[in-house]
Amino acid sequence: MINFRLGSLLLSLGLIGFFSLFIGAVNLSVSEVVYTLLASSEHDFIINQYRLPRLVLAIGVGAGLGLSGALVQGIIRNPLASPDLMGISAGAGLAATSLLVFQPDAPLYMLPLCALLGGLLAAGMIMGLAYFTDPTPARLALIGIAISAFLTSGIDFLMIVNPIEINTAMVWLTGSLWGRNWDQVPFIWWTLALLLPLSFWLAWRLDIMGLGEETATSLGISPNKMQFGALLCAVILASVSVSVCGTISFVGLLAPHLARMLFGHNHRLLLPAAAGLGALLVLISDMLARGLQPPIELPAGVLTSLIGAPYFIFLLQRYKGWS
Amino acid sequence: MYYSTIRFAILAGILIAGFCFSMIAWSSFSLSTDHLWGYLFRFDDSSMEQQILATLRAPRVYASLIIGANLAVAGVLMQGLTRNPLASPSVLGINAGAACFMALASIGFLHLDVLPGILVAAVGGLLSGGLVMLLGGFFSPRPHPIKLVLAGIAVNALLIGLTRASVILADDMAYSVIYWLSGTVTNISWEQWHQLWPFSFAGLLMAGLVAKNLNLLALGEDVATGLGLNVAMTRVVTCCAIVLLTATSVAIAGPIGFVGLIIPHIARKLVGSNFLLLIPASGLCGAALLVWADGLSRSIAFPSETPVGVITALIGTPCFILLASRSKLS
Repeated sequence: MINFRLGSLLLSLGLIGFFSLFIGAVNLSVSEVVYTLLASSEHDFIINQYRLPRLVLAIGVGAGLGLSGALVQGIIRNPLASPDLMGISAGAGLAATSLLVFQPDAPLYMLPLCALLGGLLAAGMIMGLAYFTDPTPARLALIGIAISAFLTSGIDFLMIVNPIEINTAMVWLTGSLWGRNWDQVPFIWWTLALLLPLSFWLAWRLDIMGLGEETATSLGISPNKMQFGALLCAVILASVSVSVCGTISFVGLLAPHLARMLFGHNHRLLLPAAAGLGALLVLISDMLARGLQPPIELPAGVLTSLIGAPYFIFLLQRYKGWS
Repeated sequence: MYYSTIRFAILAGILIAGFCFSMIAWSSFSLSTDHLWGYLFRFDDSSMEQQILATLRAPRVYASLIIGANLAVAGVLMQGLTRNPLASPSVLGINAGAACFMALASIGFLHLDVLPGILVAAVGGLLSGGLVMLLGGFFSPRPHPIKLVLAGIAVNALLIGLTRASVILADDMAYSVIYWLSGTVTNISWEQWHQLWPFSFAGLLMAGLVAKNLNLLALGEDVATGLGLNVAMTRVVTCCAIVLLTATSVAIAGPIGFVGLIIPHIARKLVGSNFLLLIPASGLCGAALLVWADGLSRSIAFPSETPVGVITALIGTPCFILLASRSKLS
């Protein structure tokens, strides 16, 4: 049953990915697309330089965000936590935007590094506040959203004080894959290639952590180190994703929840499933964003928030641990 | 009483200083206090500086005064109504709802554009505020403060998404709408001022009328009923005042956030929690804050304009973090 679900997840990812190559301002037939993929043709730019890199990036970014969300929820054991609700994405976004505004000709590899710095600072901020106030899960979500709002207003400020093109502003305010190309692909995929195995190594340890810190310690796991490692992993994944396409909200919240519904609570399955579902979410959003009313381009982040916000409300209705 | 008189006097001083600052500072023409004095008391229509003050600056400064007062009073009323220190028009989605309906109207959705802007904003604010209250469990027997706020934030995210999507799909003026969506008083004319003040004064008057009832409501619903207060009526009037105050402000200046969140807390520190004093004090504080913020917002990237909503967000969100992490809540 689980194998069947995992298989159908991968299959739908592949099918929708292939289908997304047809979506956009120019209508292409199946033969044209296949021919362009295999050998070059007049549509080379549209397929190979425009739609294909977006497809690859959407999968990478979605997987990064989904995995990051699953790790964060696994460590904090808080169903309302996710990198974007904790301000990590906004911190990375603010750092990346500042770099673009103040050092527009910085080399491309600086962007993910700078975003990572911002993400780490934001994570440090929320962890510090959590340490001093010892909040309930719901309050932690609230503090995270407040930090996120602060950092987002910083992005807003930078964007408006330095007027730039609307699509670029949209990328950093809501998250969009507009204008991304092969240049960004290595960053997110290298990060995934490094951190995916590491998160599998963390998977069963996260399961044991779920039994309580004392049990985990007696089973030979050092909870603090583990939590620190997993959180670092999550921050890196989220920050690099943000440096590629801005803050696509709610994916990091939605993907782990969906994964838990479909695949249960075992982290060895949950982590890859969350990555896959995150990829699927971003892929579909980007496809719709491009295809709803071509040639006008919606930011993908708007679509994910239209799905994600109602789900967050649903979570609130079901959530019991208020006091 | 003596102390609060002094405090009101200090507030009024800050307000007047802010008024003068915002009238003459950071202009492309050099304006001085003499010009302001002339404009106020010996208007001479052959002086170009005085004409600038009369046509460009005055409506903008008056509007920011009254919008600040509106939002702050709406915040006090919301905090009194929900008894939740984090409640404010921007946090509970009223700003976003009003802005969303304004944006939908501007693209001709459902022929909303035939209605006056303030009515559209009021309907939007009422709907989204009601939705937040409903989803946040405000009508349940034991409402939880954080749940209400989180529901507000989720509805906010949804409405902002809808607003952006509709604006981008509809036209290529997206940048100016994004600018409006962060809240700005830059282009207010006398015409807009004349739309703004009647509704604002009506809203402020309603707020003044329910002040006494809110004092009773603060004792708890049962006690208030026992003392002969019509609780349902008080709530309805308060809600109407909130929606009126917020909707007029959003319709004219876009969603300026966080004024309604911070000011009530500052005002409570200054004059205590008696609503009869708190409401006027918040009004003064809010007006002073917005008029100073507007003056400063011009200085940031002079001569281009920065929306004042960005400034209030930068000041307001740290206060929100502070309030959210304080353990007194719940």
